[in-house]
Amino acid sequence: MDVFLQTLVAGILKGGLYALIGIGMTLIMGVMGIINLAHGQLMMLAMYVTFVLNTMGVDPYLSLFVAMPLLFLLGIVIQKFLLNPLIKVETILPENQVLMTVGIGMVLTEIARFAFSSDYKYITTKYANQTFYFGNISFSMALTIAFGIALAFTAAMFWFLLKTDLGRSIRATAQDKDAATLMGVNTGRITVVTFGLGSALVAAAGCLLAPVYYIFPDLGGPFTAKAFIITILGGLGSTVGAIFGGVTLGLAESMGATYFGMEYEDIVGLAIFILVLLFLPGGFKRLTKV
Amino acid sequence: MKKNLYPLVLLAVLALLPLAVKSNYFLHLMILFLLWIVIGSSWNLLAGFTGQVSFGHAAFFGVGAYTAGLLFQHLQVSPWWGMALGGIVAMLIGLPFGAICFPLRGAYFALASLALGEGIRHVATIAERFTGGMMGIMIMPTFTSKVPYYYIALALAILSVLSIQVITRSKPGYYFVSIREDQDAAASLGINTTLYKNISLSISAFWTGMAGALYMNYMGFIDPHVVFSLHDYSVMAILVAIVGGVGTIYGPTVGAFIMVAFQEIFRTGFFGFFDYLAKATGSSTFTTLSGAVHQAHVLGFGILVIVVILYLPNGVVGDWEKIKRNVFRINPAG
Amino acid sequence: MKGTVGKAFVVVAAILSLVMAASTGFAAETVKVGVLLPLTGSQAKFGEIEKRSYEMAAEEINAKGGVNGKKIELLFEDDTGKPDVGRSGVEKLISREKVPVITGGYSSSVTAAAAPVAQQFKVPFVICTGSADDITEKGYDYIFRINPPASEYPNAVRSFLQGVAKDVKTAALLYENSAFGQSSSKSFEEDAKELGLKIVVKEGYQAGAIDFKPILTKVKAANPDMVYMVSYVMDASLLMRQSKELRLNPKMFVGGGAGFTLPEFAKSAGDASEGVYSATLWVETLPFPGAKEYLKNFQKKYGSETEYHGAEAYAAMYVVADALKRAKSISPKDVRDALVKTDMKTAFGPVKFVSYGKKTQQNKLDTYMVQWQKGELEAVWPKGVATKNYIYPTPPWDKRK
Repeated sequence: MDVFLQTLVAGILKGGLYALIGIGMTLIMGVMGIINLAHGQLMMLAMYVTFVLNTMGVDPYLSLFVAMPLLFLLGIVIQKFLLNPLIKVETILPENQVLMTVGIGMVLTEIARFAFSSDYKYITTKYANQTFYFGNISFSMALTIAFGIALAFTAAMFWFLLKTDLGRSIRATAQDKDAATLMGVNTGRITVVTFGLGSALVAAAGCLLAPVYYIFPDLGGPFTAKAFIITILGGLGSTVGAIFGGVTLGLAESMGATYFGMEYEDIVGLAIFILVLLFLPGGFKRLTKV
Repeated sequence: MKKNLYPLVLLAVLALLPLAVKSNYFLHLMILFLLWIVIGSSWNLLAGFTGQVSFGHAAFFGVGAYTAGLLFQHLQVSPWWGMALGGIVAMLIGLPFGAICFPLRGAYFALASLALGEGIRHVATIAERFTGGMMGIMIMPTFTSKVPYYYIALALAILSVLSIQVITRSKPGYYFVSIREDQDAAASLGINTTLYKNISLSISAFWTGMAGALYMNYMGFIDPHVVFSLHDYSVMAILVAIVGGVGTIYGPTVGAFIMVAFQEIFRTGFFGFFDYLAKATGSSTFTTLSGAVHQAHVLGFGILVIVVILYLPNGVVGDWEKIKRNVFRINPAG
Repeated sequence: MKGTVGKAFVVVAAILSLVMAASTGFAAETVKVGVLLPLTGSQAKFGEIEKRSYEMAAEEINAKGGVNGKKIELLFEDDTGKPDVGRSGVEKLISREKVPVITGGYSSSVTAAAAPVAQQFKVPFVICTGSADDITEKGYDYIFRINPPASEYPNAVRSFLQGVAKDVKTAALLYENSAFGQSSSKSFEEDAKELGLKIVVKEGYQAGAIDFKPILTKVKAANPDMVYMVSYVMDASLLMRQSKELRLNPKMFVGGGAGFTLPEFAKSAGDASEGVYSATLWVETLPFPGAKEYLKNFQKKYGSETEYHGAEAYAAMYVVADALKRAKSISPKDVRDALVKTDMKTAFGPVKFVSYGKKTQQNKLDTYMVQWQKGELEAVWPKGVATKNYIYPTPPWDKRK
């Protein structure tokens, strides 16, 4: 029983972090219909920001307030100067934007490598190794905090998309770009803002992950993969779906690791992904309608 | 008429090359170039002509390589038999995948193919008993000389490009393009889109698998991270085709040349030029610069992709007219 | 008059000798030695340590007259950690640079892929780090290896279990899915069988996992006496941190080389690294000539840390230089023949290429056990080289101060 409960707790806590990684992706995919294959790389950059600030004595959680605006700006620049121009270009493949994000990801990774070398960097904090216990079940302090912050961000995003003008414009663009344009929404600007927001959100995830993990230039790829699995699970553009998707993936990985073997961890994720694509296209969003 | 002459001249040069060039190192680069022609052209058939962008061609490449390797490992059969089988096994992997995933469109298909490549890599790593896991498979290459491999690679490159040319100029080829342009319209015209996507995938997987089997024979060593590498094969295949020209017959050939040359130039620091400068001048600036150039090849790839997509979205071949126009406009003036 | 002639003579002689020196210096033949290392990519950190060690050794040798008067010139080839690049690197060294001998070889897979090339072209390849067992099991007569194969890394662990930790009856085995991890786990299983050790959990994982709690929970439920892990540095750190979180309390945690001996491991894992054992190939306190000096000089010269990989490279350079000195001529064949007769002491230990079991031309070395005590890595086993007494069993997490 302890084994099951501990696995459950580990999966849910990890899932919270995954959700935050996924929300940014789901926004971008929902609004622009493109897969951002540089998503994990953006998180990697945020983690380096956290690392640099930490060497100056700034707590990783406080560096949220620096990393998020920085990545927001970077996201805006990427969308405005690299992705938006592609819409006008005549090409054979509509996937050019996706391929562009591959190139961007490579450049970001290599820039990080130039600046910080391939060495592993890590952040040591007092609370990174702290644990509290309920009975025999242990809770990692850092992951529990991360889970809480991830939930708070999701709630905030949900409110933002539902209640603010900008949020409504984003949702309108996601649902029907042409109609939104006709209604007077500046969709070009909306895509830029959305990419910025998505980048800022994944930056938040990076700041929360940094104390419990470590940092190296190549870490982006696997997290990009997790992000799109979560997005497909939750449904494009759905913040609530991202929470469901993140926790589901976290749980599936943990349960898979405990009951099948840890080497199947990644395969479990990929299998879920294919199953959802085939049998539940649209993800959880289709079931919950939010 | 004149247009058809270029490939023939190129062919003649390539066929006679080993007579003139004795350097193993140079021949090695040429073999890589020929291999990339095969892989790039195969990807291009599926993505460029049929519109199904695959992020998982490493799956077919790796399966081809493992077919050859495993035949030797378990049955002591010469890995050259794997050349014959590698392509077919890759095709057999492609068929069920296509049957399952072709209902998906656009980006979803791309993601599914990415999952296929990564999934197979994990399986090959975990199934230690069968594949040797990360310890890989090692064989002793048959020839010490590069020349036989060169001609085999050349034959493979010619056959794959020719077959793709023939197909794209026949009825299935027109169906492929119509699927790419508008799948619903193609379906309403009575084209069995799933069938033709599968045909395109099978041919593409076949040639990629053959390239993988040749890689096993030539390199003599494979492990899951080498041949199923997302970055080194799946993404590189895409880059080769994009840089050269998506949806053109000779685009991937040009792309393969550019990419192999590009990588080698960076890896060797402009063929040792920077190292030479560093040594000659004794200046530490050049030493650092040389180190930076060595490290910059992936960065270079990334920038190349961004620049090509922004300014030559149809690749060097696809946008050849544009390049020529701009070059000609500059020439008389300056 | 006589004086001026004398002076002039001295001046002329001096100029002449300068010119001579300069021209011989200019024309002095060098002996090229090819070195295959990962200088970029994810393994670049170790490639850099080894490169510096090679350079340091070559400078020392050259300062003492080089190889029979000729200076050693190192030609580094970057394998970027990829087997195919490594192969073409070796080919380039052989066909373009015409080196008489190649050394280096960091990762197992690159080395395994590069060795057949050297064998086919009949150029000796002295491997310093690549440890996959089968590299020296193919009967290659041009391939030599200085470091022990992966399967022998835990030899000291074995003798420790037989000599001290006799009450260890069950073990959990966690390893990363890499060439080194998979071959180490196999040999540990064989050792365990011989020792009558029951393996209660055996799990491979992909390097770079975030959360090891699920398998550690499983390990905790199985309650083994010992946890044996083959992991790279950051995975090692996470494994120990999370073991502490879960209060996993075996009698001993043992790392199988790789990441557990690096300073970063202790720094990033903090107090969770306390008491962790690891197998290792070398510590500077070993009674080998030049071992301590190597470490000191390296730190002084480069201002950075080195460890056993560096010592392997440093020793490899001396072994190669020794063979070049003894070779009848600087041709691959003669250098190979000289290498066969190698019998020398290096900072990394005695080097002699012998055949045993399935292995050929393999150097046979002892391995050692180290333990993290108060943030320092101490040699604890075998007794003869110990710098501190081992702490066994390690106290449970909640009983520690």
